[in-house]
Amino acid sequence: MALSPRDVLARMLLMRRFEEMVITLARAHKLGRQHLAIGNEALGAAALMQLTLGDLIYTTHRNHGHMIARGVDPGKALAEILGRAGGLNGGKGGTWHMTDPSLGFQSTSAMVGGSIGLSVGGGFALKHKKANNVAVALFGDGALDEGIAYEALNIASLYALPVLFLCEDNSKEGEAQTSRLATKELVAVPKALKIPCASVDGGDPEAVALAVETALAHVRLGAGPYFLEAQLVRWPGSHQIVHEFTTGVTDVTAAWDDAKASNEHAEWQRTDPILRTARTLIARGTLTREDVVALDNEAAVIIAKARAYAEASPYPKPEAALTGAFVQA
Amino acid sequence: MPQKSFAVAMIDALAHSLKSDPNVVVIGAHSLLSDRGLKPEDERALWDAFPDRLIDPPTSEGVCTSLVTGAAMAGMRPFLNYGTATFAYEAFNQIMSEAANVHSMSGGQLRAPLTLHMFAGIRGGGAGQHSSSPQAMYANSAGLELVLPACPADAQGLLRSAIKSDNPTVIITHTKLLAMTGDVPDGDHTVPFGQARIARAGRDVTIVATSLMVREALKAAEALAKDGIEAEVIDPRTIVPLDVETICASVRKTGRLVTVDEGNALCSIGSEISAQVAEHAFDALKAPIMRVARPPVPIAFSPPLEAHVTPNADKVVAAVRKSIKA
Repeated sequence: MALSPRDVLARMLLMRRFEEMVITLARAHKLGRQHLAIGNEALGAAALMQLTLGDLIYTTHRNHGHMIARGVDPGKALAEILGRAGGLNGGKGGTWHMTDPSLGFQSTSAMVGGSIGLSVGGGFALKHKKANNVAVALFGDGALDEGIAYEALNIASLYALPVLFLCEDNSKEGEAQTSRLATKELVAVPKALKIPCASVDGGDPEAVALAVETALAHVRLGAGPYFLEAQLVRWPGSHQIVHEFTTGVTDVTAAWDDAKASNEHAEWQRTDPILRTARTLIARGTLTREDVVALDNEAAVIIAKARAYAEASPYPKPEAALTGAFVQA
Repeated sequence: MPQKSFAVAMIDALAHSLKSDPNVVVIGAHSLLSDRGLKPEDERALWDAFPDRLIDPPTSEGVCTSLVTGAAMAGMRPFLNYGTATFAYEAFNQIMSEAANVHSMSGGQLRAPLTLHMFAGIRGGGAGQHSSSPQAMYANSAGLELVLPACPADAQGLLRSAIKSDNPTVIITHTKLLAMTGDVPDGDHTVPFGQARIARAGRDVTIVATSLMVREALKAAEALAKDGIEAEVIDPRTIVPLDVETICASVRKTGRLVTVDEGNALCSIGSEISAQVAEHAFDALKAPIMRVARPPVPIAFSPPLEAHVTPNADKVVAAVRKSIKA
């Protein structure tokens, strides 16, 4: 599936403005902890925009970006993060457990390695039903520390299950290292279990789109699982429990305005996938500066409407806490 | 007596343990020591003092539990911190089938002197996967000691005893207790297992509460005292072993029992205490036993939903009034 570069950048901007709104709302409503996907936009958009109806997705506590990338209603997502009745899960899941089965989201688990394990079950069901769909596991590099990762990769390979393992490697040597594998080559693990693998620059949406296209083709053919490692930049604000605008509110004009790009956030702005993509598309003549500003404004409008919806949504009735543990016959 | 926070009291117990026994190691040290109210220089000094014995492992709860169990069987005295209690479910087999069975299954030839620590409880916004109070499950294991400290002095004294114990011990800290401050005796303070603490003396009703719920029970007792109802609040401190004697003696005095427990009411710590009292002090009861606990539902994220199912002082007051009316 060939993605339009304009559509991908638009989706990336929507993801960024969504997370920035989460920071704003977290402050305004004194919310607890969220795990933001700032810096993961190129991977999320270029990968999840290629999924089709019936594909199953398994994600983690860092799921906001995946939801928006796949096209989930940002208003319902923000309402869920605020714990409102109009949220995706009616307020029962919150930031860590957003779910939208209509778009394939089966599970958002905050247990490290949880998504890898469940994706194998999804792949097993798809194979059993002879569906031409894939199960996609999204997880950070830290999840490979867990024993379940090895067990899941092994059984997916053994049974040739239609699973795309999509590892978001946001580990940075030293202060922000999240995985402690004895090998620094993450793909060595699936490789040893005879799963085809590739590594890709997760900040480059075109490279991601191509790598995911190859991976999905392999899996949809029934050739078994595929492991794709995307190396991400790590947003400097990601270590904080309560997020701040550590790198400032994204200003897309920093993609071409040297005066803006040389401020205290210069290093981040050099690697920020959004600014990088904008620079590439402008240099190539695919988009003009005005196009980029217009796309960004559109994203901001959508997110402002989403905020209005979320804040207007009431809290669920307290008694709702007592229902829903079981399916009612 | 020096005042300190619950968190610093725990760290002091670890420091005393590390200093007095070279076979003590602390695995999962980072999430226990960082941002817990230690002065930065004191935290640094601790890491510097024990460079090989404070360990920050991979996110591998399963094998970390096997590692401490194997090391304990081979002569060490390890302490493992899981962080959030639900993370220990990754290691349920290693805890329940391996550690709990070592001594008995070997016919008493082996022992596993290890301590497993976790942060539990309804913490605010934890939703389904970060709000568990799993104490009853561990009490049900057979082979594990279970410790639920409720104040800084007990945090230090019970943790010290857990590490000295020759049995595998699970110690559960409610996240909301960490900032609580209180008097802690000087030096290497220990508190023996199996001895309940009478947190407040009273004559009209016995409230047995554990962990954070001791604080709620004491709040309830203050409110009830304004109406002339004097509640006795008992904190068992350890569930395995359980001081049934102190609890029954109190019920014999008051004739009424309310249990307060943040765990799921079904097969809970409160259920066990109720059963013990029904078996051993039934003749003293003037009213049915009341249990305050969380209802058997996963905890929802939304604040009003979470508040609705969280046991608190108001619910304890209501249960006591019902017991007295009965």
